[in-house]
Amino acid sequence: MTNSNVMKGGAGTVLLVLSLLVMVAGFGYAAFSLSAHGHAAFNASSNVPWGQPISTYLYFALASSGLGLLAAIPLVFRVKAYYPVAKRCVFLAFIVLISGMAVLAMELGHTFRMIWAIPFGMQIESAMFWMGVLYLLDLIFLLWKFQRLEGKDWDSKTAKQIGVASFLGVLLASGNLALIFGMMSMRPFWFDGSLPIYFYLTGITSGMAALVFYTYLAYGFKREAMPEPLQRLLTGNLPVLFAALLGVTLLFILVRMVTGLYSNMPEVHLVWSDYILTSPVYHLSLWGGLVLPFLLLLSRNLRVQPGVQVLCAMLVFAGLFAERYYFVVGGQVIPLFKGTWAWDIVHYTPSAAEWSLTLMGAAMIFVLYVLGEKYFNLSDTPADITAPEPSGATAKVTA
Amino acid sequence: MNVLKALMTRRRFLQVSGAAGVAGAGAAKLVGFTAATSTPKTAGAQARGQTRVTKNICHQCPARCGINVYTTNGRVHAIYGDPGNPIANGKLCPKGHLGTYFLYDPDRFKGPMRRTNPRKGRNEDPGWEPISWEQAYDEIAGRINELRRNGEAHKFAHFYGRGWGPSDAGLYGAWGQLIGTPNSAIGHASMCAEGSKRAKAATDGNNSYNAYDYRNTNCMLIFGAGFLEAFRPYNKIMQDWGHMRTKSPKTRVTTIDVRMNPTMAASDRYLMTKPGTDGAIALAIAHVMLTEGLWEKDFVGDFRDGRNRFRTGQTVRAFEFEEKWTHGLVDWWNNELKDRSPSWAESVTGIPARQIIEVAREFGTTRPAMAIMERGPTAHTNGVYNGIAIHALNALSGCLFAKGGMFYQMGPSYGPGPANPADYMDDIANEMRGKYPRIDMARSERWPFTGTMMQETARNHNAGDPYKLKMAMFYSTNPIWTAPDAPEWEKMMSEIFVIDTSPFPGETAMFADIVLPESTYLERLQDSPTYPFEGWPMTALRVPAIDPIYNTTEFGNMMIEIGKRIEGPTGEYYQRIDSVENLLRHLARGFANDPGDNGVNDFESWKEKGVWYKKPYHWRQHRGVFYEWDGEGYNRVMSEEEVGEKLIKTASGKFEFKSSHLEGHADYINRELGIPTDRVGYPQWVEPRHTGGNRPLHFVTPKTPMTAEGRSGNIPHAVAIQQPIVGGNDRTYLEVHPQTARERGIRDGDRVRIRSDLGTIEAYARYVPQHRPDTIVLPYEHGHWAQGRWATGQGRSRTPGNPNEITANVSDPISGLACYYTGKVDLERA
Amino acid sequence: MAKWGMVIDLDKCTGCQACTTACGMENNTLPGENWQDVLYYSEGEYPSGQMKWLPRPCMQCEDPSCVHVCPTRATYKDEAAGGIVFVDWNKCIGCKYCMIACPYGVRFYADEKPLVEPDLKSIFPGENGQLWSPPYQGPDEDWRRGIGIQPKGVVSKCTFCYHRVSKAPEGVADLDEDDPELVEFVPACVRTCPPKARYFGDLDNPQSNVNRLIGNKRGVRLRDETGNRPQVYYLGAGAGVPAFQRRERS
Repeated sequence: MTNSNVMKGGAGTVLLVLSLLVMVAGFGYAAFSLSAHGHAAFNASSNVPWGQPISTYLYFALASSGLGLLAAIPLVFRVKAYYPVAKRCVFLAFIVLISGMAVLAMELGHTFRMIWAIPFGMQIESAMFWMGVLYLLDLIFLLWKFQRLEGKDWDSKTAKQIGVASFLGVLLASGNLALIFGMMSMRPFWFDGSLPIYFYLTGITSGMAALVFYTYLAYGFKREAMPEPLQRLLTGNLPVLFAALLGVTLLFILVRMVTGLYSNMPEVHLVWSDYILTSPVYHLSLWGGLVLPFLLLLSRNLRVQPGVQVLCAMLVFAGLFAERYYFVVGGQVIPLFKGTWAWDIVHYTPSAAEWSLTLMGAAMIFVLYVLGEKYFNLSDTPADITAPEPSGATAKVTA
Repeated sequence: MNVLKALMTRRRFLQVSGAAGVAGAGAAKLVGFTAATSTPKTAGAQARGQTRVTKNICHQCPARCGINVYTTNGRVHAIYGDPGNPIANGKLCPKGHLGTYFLYDPDRFKGPMRRTNPRKGRNEDPGWEPISWEQAYDEIAGRINELRRNGEAHKFAHFYGRGWGPSDAGLYGAWGQLIGTPNSAIGHASMCAEGSKRAKAATDGNNSYNAYDYRNTNCMLIFGAGFLEAFRPYNKIMQDWGHMRTKSPKTRVTTIDVRMNPTMAASDRYLMTKPGTDGAIALAIAHVMLTEGLWEKDFVGDFRDGRNRFRTGQTVRAFEFEEKWTHGLVDWWNNELKDRSPSWAESVTGIPARQIIEVAREFGTTRPAMAIMERGPTAHTNGVYNGIAIHALNALSGCLFAKGGMFYQMGPSYGPGPANPADYMDDIANEMRGKYPRIDMARSERWPFTGTMMQETARNHNAGDPYKLKMAMFYSTNPIWTAPDAPEWEKMMSEIFVIDTSPFPGETAMFADIVLPESTYLERLQDSPTYPFEGWPMTALRVPAIDPIYNTTEFGNMMIEIGKRIEGPTGEYYQRIDSVENLLRHLARGFANDPGDNGVNDFESWKEKGVWYKKPYHWRQHRGVFYEWDGEGYNRVMSEEEVGEKLIKTASGKFEFKSSHLEGHADYINRELGIPTDRVGYPQWVEPRHTGGNRPLHFVTPKTPMTAEGRSGNIPHAVAIQQPIVGGNDRTYLEVHPQTARERGIRDGDRVRIRSDLGTIEAYARYVPQHRPDTIVLPYEHGHWAQGRWATGQGRSRTPGNPNEITANVSDPISGLACYYTGKVDLERA
Repeated sequence: MAKWGMVIDLDKCTGCQACTTACGMENNTLPGENWQDVLYYSEGEYPSGQMKWLPRPCMQCEDPSCVHVCPTRATYKDEAAGGIVFVDWNKCIGCKYCMIACPYGVRFYADEKPLVEPDLKSIFPGENGQLWSPPYQGPDEDWRRGIGIQPKGVVSKCTFCYHRVSKAPEGVADLDEDDPELVEFVPACVRTCPPKARYFGDLDNPQSNVNRLIGNKRGVRLRDETGNRPQVYYLGAGAGVPAFQRRERS
């Protein structure tokens, strides 16, 4: 089985070196730009304080939470069919969050100051404070859970408790992350008490995309190289869930869009009518990145095809990345109280340095992922479902 | 800790002064990670060093606001209005706070320089080489001496824009007399606001701007004066505005202008008229005032039987009306005004007659009421006629010399200078006296009413008529950029020896052979009698806040030092003058006999207080009687002769609705404007002659409050708030009505081309639906191609271009005021 | 302790921006970093169009949303300093959440692309940890209150010129620039305002002129629906903030 994981071999090493190069280059460029120009290297400004690095962080953090929630399916709710992805989910959740935080660290004005200033400040009124606390807990629980799984402890009482704690941690962390935006009554595009649900849904969706992609990647995109239970999951329950998640995500986007367009309030209405829906990139990402994979996965025949699944995962990567970007930037493009100085809707396009941070974060995921595949058995499952099956049985499994 | 900090701070200042402009960011640490390594500044509130406050006068406009300059550790860091100065009263306009940026402008010239590249042009690097002051003065004086020896002294000309007082522009008179040139100096007034001065000269005999008593007026008509943008003294005007708009009764304000602007927006009512037609509105208002019997009878007089016979279209018999302080009212009515009804004005201006009547009734029934004007109505070929029609309203409302009205400015009690130039005339000076006309032909038969015609200079030089200049020295003026048809100056200045004295780079310096950089105003010793303000005399003083930070000096000292090097008695004269400080000390001796209200009685106390002034204004007209101040009150009744001599200085001693001043050159006016010679004296409607012929759009180039004597283009803090009307914070934009733009396929934000007879400039357009569709507006500031790094940065030197390049060199034949706002243009997408 | 408040009379204000330049000079802000700003709005069309303006300092809200969101308490409302909202530059981590949360757009992250180029930050490079170090820098500095020139990576804002106000005698009801004893303690924007459209005083003192003006002239707070309860009041016509509307573009 270890042999079938291509990441453990030369291909993994090649990917490791390549992604390491990209990561270092991304970091190097961003660091150089920041040291030469300060935050003037970014196109974020006093009018759009939160730009693509923040939306990238949000994207990664929510993908991590989504992975964490997916991991809860087997580890908390004991849906055994999902055991084959449980460990990889936990690991991916961990590294994606780490990468997101790395991007955030490069974006902040004073990263290291944060380490003492947040705990000493104890500003419990700030959702940002709770973001620090909860994502830290999330990180710890993920690590702890992974350590348990690494020790083959799948269902001891402690393992279960950690699983539940981690599940709650993820819910709270990502829910709170939603409230960072959702509680801002002065930013009506975001102001929405149900935003956590939107974040959970889109988070799980992007987690699912990551899971599918990285699982396939581990096996060189060859499903037949995978262990049988994993194959069974990928041809059974999982693509259905993927489709369902995309469907609900689309529904949520539609509802937000309709509400926004219906509203007279310029800070909501104009964001949809004159910013988001006039952007070709948004349309491309919506139709190509969310609707198309949804339709593909609806098809009973197509959704079990490995190629379709990987394609959908990659499309959803792009679709939800754009969704996060338009969500974050959209909340800021209607100038707040600037008179004629902001002559029109505020323009923002990410700078090269901001793109380099996104690239750095993505590459960092690959680096950590390959290392993870190399040094851990991420396909590990509890003994009861890893028992060897009769050979040849794999091909006939259906949902 | 604090000592260390102070030392470090001082070091930092020293480093900055030496290395301004050197990028030190190369070694900067990675930004996101600096916190851990740099020491947080945890010390409490602190202020470094002792702060010294010195007196000065702002230089950002002609108003002469007294300022307190705050200096700590040898660095000027703050400027506030001087509470002891009667114009500033502790306040400043937005430009007033920019002084430190000017002082520490990294583009400033650092010392005298000589050109090494003989070719001159916009793109020619002058190849400056630093020289000493001695070298510079010797070379200049040597050239002047040579001109004088060759009988060509008249080929040396001085040009100046903002003259402050005896210690700079005041030196020109003696210079011209002693050197023997009629061109000392060519002032910029004809490119500034001569129109309103000539309108006053033509009607009440005072060739001057007015002093105003805004605080006591109850009604104002503002004709194209940029009252809340660029009228002087802007700062004091705004102080008075705050008072006028909250006092009881609130001063009612109507603004007549050609574009949406802050004055209009803040007024009670506005009439947006067609460029050049203000006079028609004024005439219609006068018409209504007469037909409805709303003129001030105590001042103007009345029908002998008290029965109003002014009826639209009907003449009145002169003997039936008895005039008091005016002259020619009935003639004016019969020959002009009877037909200038509001409906007639509507046909000319597009303003509904009903609105004009409303304004006239309010103006006519409110006292005191005044009508003010500036360049808007007067920078047209019919400028003086627009102006006298407006000023006639002040006679009809009786606000002349009245409380809440307008009057004229008194001068300060200066002592005599150190020497009298008449005692130092040599043969050359005597021979040259009156021998040649001025290069600009002002005061000649070509421009009989004018005092100065700077904008004619380059054209005359290039045509060799009356002659060609050989040498020119520029002070606080930059006609190569600001004059209409500015490129004409590039040709002239390529041919002659040019001396520029600006502290800053500029277009003049690009064509200069020698640059003698002046100190900025915060480093200068300089006096300045007030511009017309509230009438009573005042003179303020610039006291250097710090020693010049570069190798610079006062312009006055440059003149004196060059003068000392002129052969013959001229040199001796300047030896006697010695220096600006010596001159000022002599002038201040006059205060000994006439101490100011604030106790200033000599040079030292003047320096300490920054201003000498003496209230009150000496005259007042009240209900048709003129009184003179007798030391305690306006108690002494003045005779008609005294009024004519001191206040209304016309031939008749009355306010003239039939101007003897204009009639003095009736043939000239007839020739230039086609007005029958027997009618030239009346305020009347004269069609403006727009340049650009049949082109469809009026092109106006107003000043915004941030236009700091033409230098704010290189002040990034000023650029960033230059044009709030359309959010112009990185450049100025062309303001255009959306309909006008759409017809030409121009979208908001598009680059556009403005085309006149002379050529084209480009700009970015922004929609302003509040403007007239037939008028496009480009505030005058950017388009400088040699003023420094910010003036030229981000394309500000090209988009927008310099509006003066497409402004035809046409002037009002009477005032000589360049018709900046009379051009018509095409607009197209670039 | 006083509760410092500002009153801005729009019937007097001429929109000249002297407040903006005085603030920029006094606090050494960068172009565009307008702690004090004047916002212009226009509506309608020739010949009956209107134009209006609104000077905008920090509102120093009684219940400031920026303070609630700051994860490090770097931004705080200092009741002991008259209720002024400060940014402690030693604690600010540059997350910019306060800029998101301020409904009045009064906060700045000057470590950004320059509005006017070339960048003054590179012409006068920062020393002593400052973002930039111009030769005309003022002498006052208190990083715990965001006074002076900020370091890189932090948020800056109007301090009601606390370095001046804090030196005022205890218990004074109003800081009136026309009083020679007080003029040096008046915030720069108030001190210079030519039409005297701005007033500064103690909102906790019923005898203060600011309270009298608010009472007599029906003072209003901008965007009161935010619940932030500004300590800045507006008088006169035009104290409404028009909703953002897209201009005609073509």
